[in-house]
Amino acid sequence: MFERFTTDARQAVALAQEEAVALHHGWIGTEHVLLGVLRADGDGARLLAGFGVEAAGVRDDVVRIVGRGEDDIDPDALATLGIDLDEVRERVERAFGPGALMRRRRCRRGGIGPMVPFTARAKKALELSLREAINLSQRDLRAEHLVLGLLREGDGVAARILAERGVTHAAARERIAGRDAA
Amino acid sequence: MAAQQTRDLAGAVDSTDPQVGLAAVASLRNLVERLEELHVSNARERGWSWQEIGAALGVSKQAVHRKHGRRRRLLG
Repeated sequence: MFERFTTDARQAVALAQEEAVALHHGWIGTEHVLLGVLRADGDGARLLAGFGVEAAGVRDDVVRIVGRGEDDIDPDALATLGIDLDEVRERVERAFGPGALMRRRRCRRGGIGPMVPFTARAKKALELSLREAINLSQRDLRAEHLVLGLLREGDGVAARILAERGVTHAAARERIAGRDAA
Repeated sequence: MAAQQTRDLAGAVDSTDPQVGLAAVASLRNLVERLEELHVSNARERGWSWQEIGAALGVSKQAVHRKHGRRRRLLG
């Protein structure tokens, strides 16, 4: 489904994966897609900047709402036993792929692969983004359509964080349509 | 964390401070749980029976199925 994605949008998805791994989350949720969009520095990030939304604040909120992975495993406590958690993780990931040691959310695809799997909500948001691009009569799926998809999905962590910042689907869509008409 | 700090903590392995010892046990247990989930999932994906997995873990097939069966169904 990524063939119609612009460079920014593709970059956002790749960065979403990076954010998930960095937070030790074993899934890519709407929250990581939002962070990916913000970090991709394209039309999606510019749209959100217009609402005062930036990556660092959102990441803090993600940690506040979701937490970091492995919160129940303290590397310092394991070090007192001579166990190096980084070493354990490296070995496990060498065999089973990135994110293998992290707690898993219920994802449709529970299998262990090289990719951190998308949650059902994140997949839904991506599908809705495509529909948003079509509704705006745009050929390509841009990063700003990902923002609309996240807002349209409505129930994910990303939608919640955006709602807390007063970003609504209607307002975001209006800005995109208004700019394109100008 | 600083290397010195790590050495100080590592030196605490023979400490009798319950806080240090219990925190280490809790983290170790959680790590073991995570590894067990991972390896049980892998074994199931490779077609191992609950019987075989239980035998390898040194527990009954009922115990391993009770613990992991539901999670496996949710993930599947």
